[in-house]
Amino acid sequence: MRVSLFVTCFNDTLFPQTGRAVVRLLERLGCEVDFPLEQTCCGQMHMNSGYAREATALVRRFARVFEGAEAVVCPSASCAGMLRHQLGTDADPPTPPVYELSELIVDRLGVEDVGAYFPHRVTFHPTCHSLRELGVGDRPLRLLEAVRGIELVQLPQADECCGFGGTFAVKNAEVSSAMVADKVRAVLDTGAEVVCAADNSCLMQIGGALSRQRTGVRTLHLAEVLAS
Amino acid sequence: MSFPDAASVALRDSQLRRNLAKATGTIRAKRASVVGELPDWQELRSAGRALKDRSLVDLDAQLELLEERVSAAGGQVHWANEADEACSIVAGVARAHGVDEVVKVKSIATDEIKLNEALAAAGVQAVETDLAELIIQLGDDVQSHILVPAIHKNRAEIRDLFARSLDLPDLSDEPEALAEAARVHLRRKFLSARMGVSGANFAVAETGTVCVFESEGNGRMCTTLPEVLVTVMGVEKLVRSWQDMEVFLQLLPRSSTGERMNPYTSFWTGVRPGDGPQEFHLVLLDNGRTGVLADQVGRQALRCIRCSACLNVCPVYSRVGGHAYESVYPGPIGAILTPQLHGMSEGRSLPYASSLCGACYEVCPVEIDIPRVLVHLRGRVVDTEPAWKPEKAAMRAMYRAFASRRSFERAQRAARLGSRPLARRGRIPRLPWPLSGWTETRDLPEPPAETFRDWWRRERGEGRARDEKPVDGEIGGKRGPRDLGAAATPDAAAAPRATSQNGDARRAMLGRIRQALADRPAPVEVPREYRRRSERSRPEIVDLFAERAGEYRATVRRAAPQELRQALTELCRHRGARRLTVPADLPPQWRPDGVELVPDTGLLPNDLDTLDGALTGCALAIAETGTIVLDGGFAQGRRALTLVPDYHLCVVSEDSIADLVPEAVERLEAAVAEGRPLTFISGPSATSDIELNRVEGVHGPRTLHVVIAG
Ligand code: SF4
Repeated sequence: MRVSLFVTCFNDTLFPQTGRAVVRLLERLGCEVDFPLEQTCCGQMHMNSGYAREATALVRRFARVFEGAEAVVCPSASCAGMLRHQLGTDADPPTPPVYELSELIVDRLGVEDVGAYFPHRVTFHPTCHSLRELGVGDRPLRLLEAVRGIELVQLPQADECCGFGGTFAVKNAEVSSAMVADKVRAVLDTGAEVVCAADNSCLMQIGGALSRQRTGVRTLHLAEVLAS
Repeated sequence: MSFPDAASVALRDSQLRRNLAKATGTIRAKRASVVGELPDWQELRSAGRALKDRSLVDLDAQLELLEERVSAAGGQVHWANEADEACSIVAGVARAHGVDEVVKVKSIATDEIKLNEALAAAGVQAVETDLAELIIQLGDDVQSHILVPAIHKNRAEIRDLFARSLDLPDLSDEPEALAEAARVHLRRKFLSARMGVSGANFAVAETGTVCVFESEGNGRMCTTLPEVLVTVMGVEKLVRSWQDMEVFLQLLPRSSTGERMNPYTSFWTGVRPGDGPQEFHLVLLDNGRTGVLADQVGRQALRCIRCSACLNVCPVYSRVGGHAYESVYPGPIGAILTPQLHGMSEGRSLPYASSLCGACYEVCPVEIDIPRVLVHLRGRVVDTEPAWKPEKAAMRAMYRAFASRRSFERAQRAARLGSRPLARRGRIPRLPWPLSGWTETRDLPEPPAETFRDWWRRERGEGRARDEKPVDGEIGGKRGPRDLGAAATPDAAAAPRATSQNGDARRAMLGRIRQALADRPAPVEVPREYRRRSERSRPEIVDLFAERAGEYRATVRRAAPQELRQALTELCRHRGARRLTVPADLPPQWRPDGVELVPDTGLLPNDLDTLDGALTGCALAIAETGTIVLDGGFAQGRRALTLVPDYHLCVVSEDSIADLVPEAVERLEAAVAEGRPLTFISGPSATSDIELNRVEGVHGPRTLHVVIAG
C-alpha cells in the first residue's frame, strides 16, 4: 500500500525523529511511503486561534498537495482530527482519507503486532483529540501491548487533558501549568521511564515540565516506540 | 479582570483548589455511574438536542403559544427586553401586594438580572432559601458553581458563618446540624411569606406548564405556600410539548446532581383554584438571548439546560473555580454564553479559557459542541480586534510562512537560528515575552539541526517535483466576513433595544427573534430511539421500584389489600405519628388505628406545621427512578399537605407503578392538560450543599414512608 506522510509542520521542525520513525515503521510493514515536499501546515493553529479563513485556506492547500493520495498518515492526533473534520465539511467521506498512525496500522493495514522490541517501563497518555475528536479508542494500546519486552503501566486519570491546548499554554500559562503539574504527578506515580502518546504537542507540554523538574522521565512518540 | 489574571488569583487559593477538586471529582463520579446504567443515554442526548433545537427554530411562535396557554390558565405573562425591565416587573408585583419580603428559590436568571439588589433598592428584601444560596447571601459572597454555588466553602467555614449571622454560637460543623439550623431559620420565612420568586428549568408551550427541579423542598415551599408567585425565565427555557419532558426528566437529574431523579420536581400551570398561589406572573426574559440566537454557530448555547456537567469535567474549571469567570455562568458554558449575551463586549478573554480538550462536549446532555463554539467566538474576538495587535501580526506572518514550501523552509531555518542563543544543552529554559509564560514552568526543546524534510531529501532526494501552489485567499489588509460555515455574526449589542411598556417589549422581543431567525433554520426532526416501553415483567417492575425508592432512603413496605390498614398503623406507630392530615377523599380502608386524622379543609401552613405528618395516595410511581408522582387527584389533596409536615406516608397501588419515565409522562398527560399541578418526589428532601454530604430533610418532609398496596 502506498501511504503519503503528512508529518505536520510541528514535527517537521521540532520532532523530525518522529517522522523518521513513521517512515521506518511503515516500510517495515511493507508500505511504500511518500513525502510530498510541498506540504506545510494543516491550519490547526489558525483555526483554534480564531483565524478560520486562513485555516480553511491551509486545509484547501493541504487537500491539493495530497490530492489523489490513497491514504495519508499523520503522526498527530490533533492535526488528523482537524483535517478530517474540515475536509469532511466539503466531502463525505473526506478526501484525501487522513489517518492517525494507529488507525492506519490497525484499520487499514490490519496489523496489531508490528514486531517492535522495547524493554522499558512505559505509560501511555491517550490525548484529548485521539480520544474525543478522533475516537481512536484502544488502538494505540493494542499496538503497544503487542510490543515485546515492554512493561505497560496504566496512567491514573489518563483521559484528563495535559493542559497544552496550543496558544492556551501561553495565554493561560498558569492554568496550563497547574494542569500539567497534575499530569506529571500521575506520570511519576506510575514509576514509568517513558511517557508515550500519539501527539508530540502534548508530549512537548508533559516533557517540558518533566525536564524542568529534572525527573529523568523521557517522552516518546508512539511511532518511535513501535519503530524500535 | 481578564480570565488569566482572575485565574491566577484563584490558583493561589489552596483551600479553594482542594474543595473544588473534591467536589468536582465526587459529582463527576456520581454522574458517570447513573449515566452508565442507562442503555439509551446517547439516544436521549440526541433527542434532547433536537427537542431544544425544535423550539429554538420556532421560538417566536412557541413563546406566543406559551403566553396564550399561561394566560388561559389564569397566569399573567410579561415580556422583558433586559434586566432592568424584568426587575421592575417583579418589584411592581411586590408593590401591588404591599410585601416587603419575598422568598426565593435559586435561579441563575434572577442572579443574571441582579434581582435581589433591584428589589432591595425598591425596599423589598429577597430571602434566598437554597442552603447554598443562603450561605452565599449570609456571607455576602459570590456563587462559584451553577448547581452547588457554595462549592468553594467547607463545613468549618459554613459553621462560622451561621454561628455569626444566625446567632448560634454553639453550632457544630456536622452537616446535619448546619442543615437543621437553616431549616429552622427559613421555616419561619416560608410560613409567613406572601410572595415567592422562582426561575424555571423548562416551560412547556403547548400546555403553559412551568417547572422547577430541586432537592431541598424550598422550591416547593416558594412555589406553593405564598399567595403570589413570580417566575422569571429566559426565553430559551421553552420546550414544545409535555411529552418532551420524558427526555429532560432523565437527562437533567442524571447530568447535574448525578441522581436518577432529584428529590423534588414541581410542575404548575397558571393558577390552580384552592391549591397554591392564586396569582401567578411569568416574566419572559431576553437580556441578550436574541443576540445569541442570531449567531448560527453560537446559538446552540441556548440549548443549555444548566446541568453543570460541563463544569465538573472541565480541567480548567475544576482548578480555578467559578469566580474567575466573573459571571453568573461559569465554566465551559459560561465561556460561550457570557460573551455572547453581551454582544462580545464583555468576557472577551473567556473563549480562550479552554484547552479545547472536548470533555465538556462529551458529557453535555444536549450535545452543545462547546469547543466548536469557543473557536468560533475566538474568531469573533479576532474580527473586532485592531490589525496592529501583536498576535494578529504573528498569525499573519505564520500564515505567510505556511503559504508555500519556500517560505516555510525559510521560516524553519529562522526558527532554528533564532532559538540557538536561547538554548542550553538542547533545551530552551527561558523565552522572551509573550512566550515567557511557557518557560515559567516548562522547558522547550531546541529545534534540531536537521528538519524532517532535510533528512528526507538527504535520504531520498527531491522526489518528483511539484509545482509551487500558492494558497488561495487574501491575507492581511481589508477583509470581508469570515467564511467559517458561512456564519454571519450580527452584533447583538448593536441591535436596537426598545425599553418601554410591556406591549412594546413584547413586540420588540418577537421582532428581534424573527430577525435572529432570518436564516430560516430547517424544522427539526426529533429522533426518539430511546426506550419508551418497558421490557420488564410486572413483578420485576414492582421490585425495582421498591429497591430504588429504598435507595433514596424512603422506607418501603408492601401490603396485600387486607394487610394495608395494619401496615399503615404499624408505620405510624413506629414513627410516633399521632395526628396526620389527610385529603378529604381518603378511602376508609386506609385509616390507620390509633391515629387522629385531620381532614384538609383549607388548613393554613401554620396549622399544617403543628401536625405530625400527612397520609396520602399518589397518581403513579416510576420504578426506574424510585419516584412517586402526585397530581392532586384521588386521595392526594393539595400540594401543601405533603410539604409542610415533617412526615409523609404515601400509599402506592401496585398497578400504578410505571417502569420508565416516558411511560409515566404519557400517563400524566391528561392531568397536565387539565392544568393540575404535579409533584415528582424521589425520597425525602435532601441537600448536598455542605461538602457534598447528602443530608436528609431540609425543608420538605424529612421522612418518607411508602406502602406498596398489592
Ligand atoms: S452546556 Fe451542556 S453540560 Fe454544560 S450546563 Fe449546559 S447542558 Fe449542561
